[in-house]
Amino acid sequence: MTLLEDHFSVFAQGFGHTLLASIIALIGSLVLGTFFAILQVTKSKWARGLGNVYVQIFRNIPLLIITLFFYLAVAKVIKMTGFTAGTVALTLYTSAFIAESVRAGILSVDPGQMEGARANGLSFAQAMRVIVLPQAFRVAIPSLGNQFINLVKNSSILAFVGGLDLMYQGNLVAANTFDTFATYIIVGAFYLIITLPLSYYIQYLERQLKQKA
Amino acid sequence: MSMIEFKNVQKYYGDFHALHDVNLKIDQGETVVLIGPSGSGKSTLIRTVNGLEEIEDGQLLVDGFDLHDPKTDMNKIRKNVGMVFQHFNLYNNKTALENIMLAPRLVLGREEGENKRIAMELLEKVGLADKANNMPSALSGGQKQRIAIARSLAMKPKALLFDEPTSALDPEMIGDVLDVMRDIAKDSSMTLLVVTHEMGFAKAVADRVIFMADGRILEDNSTAAFFDNPTEPRAKKFLSQVERH
Amino acid sequence: MEKAKKRRFGIIASIVLALVIVLGFFWASATISKNGKHQDTLTRVEKQGKINWGVKADTKLFGLMNTKTGTPEGFDIDLAKAVTKQIGKQTGKKLTPTFTPVTSASKVQLLKNTNIDAVMAVMTITPERAKVVDFSNAYFPAGQSLLVQKDSGINSVNDLNDSSKTVLVVVGTTAAQNIKKFAPKAKVIALQDYASAMQALKAGQGQAISTDNAILYGLATENPSYHVVGGTLTYGPYGAAFDHDEKPMVKQTNEALATLKKNGEYNRLIKKWFSGVPGLNWHELEVHG
Repeated sequence: MTLLEDHFSVFAQGFGHTLLASIIALIGSLVLGTFFAILQVTKSKWARGLGNVYVQIFRNIPLLIITLFFYLAVAKVIKMTGFTAGTVALTLYTSAFIAESVRAGILSVDPGQMEGARANGLSFAQAMRVIVLPQAFRVAIPSLGNQFINLVKNSSILAFVGGLDLMYQGNLVAANTFDTFATYIIVGAFYLIITLPLSYYIQYLERQLKQKA
Repeated sequence: MSMIEFKNVQKYYGDFHALHDVNLKIDQGETVVLIGPSGSGKSTLIRTVNGLEEIEDGQLLVDGFDLHDPKTDMNKIRKNVGMVFQHFNLYNNKTALENIMLAPRLVLGREEGENKRIAMELLEKVGLADKANNMPSALSGGQKQRIAIARSLAMKPKALLFDEPTSALDPEMIGDVLDVMRDIAKDSSMTLLVVTHEMGFAKAVADRVIFMADGRILEDNSTAAFFDNPTEPRAKKFLSQVERH
Repeated sequence: MEKAKKRRFGIIASIVLALVIVLGFFWASATISKNGKHQDTLTRVEKQGKINWGVKADTKLFGLMNTKTGTPEGFDIDLAKAVTKQIGKQTGKKLTPTFTPVTSASKVQLLKNTNIDAVMAVMTITPERAKVVDFSNAYFPAGQSLLVQKDSGINSVNDLNDSSKTVLVVVGTTAAQNIKKFAPKAKVIALQDYASAMQALKAGQGQAISTDNAILYGLATENPSYHVVGGTLTYGPYGAAFDHDEKPMVKQTNEALATLKKNGEYNRLIKKWFSGVPGLNWHELEVHG
């Protein structure tokens, strides 16, 4: 426990970066993922193709490679730090999985809902936003919850590109103190501080929605 | 002026010829019933009128808009042409009242107080004012369909399409729905196009009856003439089957 | 009522679960450190007939995995082989060397867990580290330096003392502390290994890599548009490392190193690995005496 006291500011800094990267990636991947899910259920062949290619690319390449691509290649053109590169990669990678969850959610909604809304005069976008997506998210919440928890854990990818996150700071502390085991237990506990409330909140949401339905 | 006009309309599903050279003119304020055996293309026809199905060839004019023209904004047509479905298609995530108020708010930008007043009036009219705050899952089929009709009416459309509105209902529910439809036909200048198997309803309210089979219009006649003396042998056969039933 | 009860149960259950997991980890770590009080390294090595060396697999000239043969190659590897053979001669036991790739972060834990017997992995001897592990006498006179792009205009560590400058280091090396001392305004980013650091330097993620000059010369041979500048910031020789309080093993190793230096084997290895490195006066590395 003296390890934690001695290096508290280091761990706290790492925790802050992990939390920030997780929040940005969570919001970003939800927006992007929903967008690409909608693309895949439109009538346009081009939009469907684009959505499918996006999902297949980012879902089927290891996160580390996407991260290194941004850190080492894209950064030559657009200046970005390891933190930015890692967070962008995490956002894109997770958005591909979220797109699949949301798409499955949309497909589980009776097509009559969209037809009814269109016949009622709503535009495609209005019908999606007000009628289809709220019902799709209700179905998708358990799987979205899994994606979000994975996202927090996957944020440790930042350590590979000097992203100043928990894992990065943990590596430094472990290397300096040689107390590898205790260091990573502390790091693991910090991750729990984010993931446990998150997974509890998702369970709570699930129960809320079940009551409503 | 005609509200709906089909000119040599063709519609295919792959190789299947769903609408075969359809010509049809329906005037403003007319009530037209469309009948025919299942698979005759009557549902397809009615769904082309508000663009839920696209046509492959010919011309389809609705409220002056050419539906086959890719530049036509479907949302403008749908604002003026409502539709009631066999399976109601109420918004499952909205209360009965919200189902009625949603489109006027989003599409017409109707002021909220006025929107609510009109919606409550319509609920009164379909006899479900006490169900305003119910979710669709807490309504019976007949109640859902009456809400769906009220939802269409809230847009104050020029034309209203009914696609087998009573086919999915238990027999004891059908009467209430038909009563509401009868009222609409009676006291409005709205154009109504109704696909149904309810011959009693057709006899009572329709100005014209159209008989379809195999994607073609076989007979287009005044209600009295059609029921008293159908010219088409297949229409005769169909009527005798339906009435025996 | 029923739901509130269930919810409270859920909260309590998840807290208990988290506690059990954390306590479980502590128990496991305590057990491991107790088991760590093992027999002394020399006895173990003699019994097994081999010395398992932790070596680098990503460091050119010292320990680099040959991807064709799957074995690491470099000065550290060759020296470890020679030392193993020499200790074998000294103790009259037949000893063979085996190699386990380690990272800067993992090497000490692996020593403590007795997964490896010794470390010969470009490890700088420092007083802090000497509290945790035992070092042999120095086997290589390294000094920290800088690798920069040739047209970067950076000639010394002073040119990096600016908040717009980022210096790349590798996790677990002593370079970061020294940069903070000599260029306190510069940002320091630690990467996982030298290959990553070199890629990051090329991508413009930093303006310099700082580590021991011998390693930087290795990187420079492969990347001709980069060069080593600024002389040596610090003198930090490498030593072989063993678990704490392993005097017999350290003594044997020091004896072996002295013999190898005397009989010319050490100089032969220096020539083999460093004579072809541009910009490095390898004769300075030879020992005479």
